[in-house]
Amino acid sequence: MATIEHAAAEELATGELRRQVEGRQRAIRTERFHVVGWQTLILLAVLGFWEWSTRTPWFVEHTIMDPFFVSRPSDIAARLYAWVLGSKRGHLWPHLAATLWATLLGLVVGVATGFAVGLVLSQSRRLARVLNPYVIALNSVPRIALVPLITMIFGLGLGSKVVTAWFMVFFLVFFNTFKGSQSIERELVDFCRTLGASPRQITRSVRVPNALAWAFTALPNAVSFALIGVVICEFVGSTKGMGYLMITSLATLNATDMFTSVVVLSAVGVALVTLIRRVERRLLRWAPEFRT
Amino acid sequence: MITVESAGKVYVTAAREIWAVRDISLSVAEGEFVSVVGPSGCGKSTLLHMIAGFEAPTAGEIRVAGARVAGEIPKGLGYIFQKDTVLPWYTVRHNIALGLRYRGRPKREIADKVAALATLAGLGGFEDVYPHELSGGMRRRLALVMTLACDPSILLLDEPFGALDTHTKTLLHVELLEIRRRMRQTIVLVTHDLGEAVTLSDRVIVLSRPPSRVIMDQRIDLPEPRDVFSIRETEGYSRHYQALWKVLGQEFRAAGMTH
Repeated sequence: MATIEHAAAEELATGELRRQVEGRQRAIRTERFHVVGWQTLILLAVLGFWEWSTRTPWFVEHTIMDPFFVSRPSDIAARLYAWVLGSKRGHLWPHLAATLWATLLGLVVGVATGFAVGLVLSQSRRLARVLNPYVIALNSVPRIALVPLITMIFGLGLGSKVVTAWFMVFFLVFFNTFKGSQSIERELVDFCRTLGASPRQITRSVRVPNALAWAFTALPNAVSFALIGVVICEFVGSTKGMGYLMITSLATLNATDMFTSVVVLSAVGVALVTLIRRVERRLLRWAPEFRT
Repeated sequence: MITVESAGKVYVTAAREIWAVRDISLSVAEGEFVSVVGPSGCGKSTLLHMIAGFEAPTAGEIRVAGARVAGEIPKGLGYIFQKDTVLPWYTVRHNIALGLRYRGRPKREIADKVAALATLAGLGGFEDVYPHELSGGMRRRLALVMTLACDPSILLLDEPFGALDTHTKTLLHVELLEIRRRMRQTIVLVTHDLGEAVTLSDRVIVLSRPPSRVIMDQRIDLPEPRDVFSIRETEGYSRHYQALWKVLGQEFRAAGMTH
């Protein structure tokens, strides 16, 4: 008797529960639809106003919305088409490739050296203490201020771009690794020692993985920094690259070329960061608290 | 098996020196299960650290299996911390195998042993999972079998069940007694929980507030094998608990007043 009542109550509850769950799921879907809808609407409004105002004489004459200065979305789309598939096909690729290649090299070198130095310095307390003021001083130098110097030393080619990107990335990764390595718990090390680990085995199975985790968390920012470094270096002096493309558009006062370069560069930045986040998530699948 | 003779430990800071432990003497026989209880900050953990060789004693002497301990971890010693010490970047399988890998055991032996230990810890089917997906109790058991993989003859347990809920804790008590019945390790357990100490041990040692000394050493003559669930209802348990609490409670009160 009691069980029958209980079962009936349970069924009632599951029916009610199911309704509630479904209602909640519907609400989540609706919410997502609203958010995406509004986002699209805002984008369209901005682009629409841009297009319309640059075609309206009053705006062109009295405001900054002059196509000579701000171009217009339809022109930018047409230029992008021309660069990629149309009349000036092949115009974009060498520049894009140069920027990407320099970014990648700078990123790899920067992450590798930042990680290595961070790990080594964190192992010796005295070394860390001795070098601390230099590290802080170097880190507080505004990095962009060094780009002309780097260009002077390493020339107009790949070299100075990679050095700039490295310089941007190195400290980021270095600091993360350094701080992370110092945060390792004594208990973890002692525990592994009781399991029979030699100092070298402790390094390999405890210190390095821990430091790697901290270095990985710096990756998404490192990608952005590397890209920024390369483009700035291309502004200052280069013969190829997205930054070079923008600077030549400035020289020829071509707003459409400039905006098109910006669009391409933004897309590249978003793609790179998305990619690296995937990689990071895969590498740190054991650590939900590290994933960004 | 383990002898501690007038051991003391001083921590020196720039301003002053603090005796965490002063003049503690005790001995633990082979195969014995001894619990150490005392008010917080009484140097229980320091004592255990010194036996394990993590820290050298400032005064006195510690011997494990006849050999003097000074900054080296004695052979055959396993240690369980209160903190979570499983390696988050390795799977359960890799964690269990860690001690055997450190010792360079053959792959075949490692695989067999890992399978047996995973089953022992109730982690069968979880071998390829990362520790963050396990519950608190499962992670405790993982740390325990990581240590057992190395066949320790001595187990030092540093408040290993402190952070667990009563239910999980009690189940782990059952498992610990079962493991000990089979492998007869010498065990020293440091704990806040007097009930836990009486339930599990052959002997309970009470330390005073710092600078700490041994103020009581009581043999727990409850019948073996013990049933963790029903033992607390027995008259013998109450008798021991009350006798120990009389001394320990006073230390708690006195330590509380100076805080």
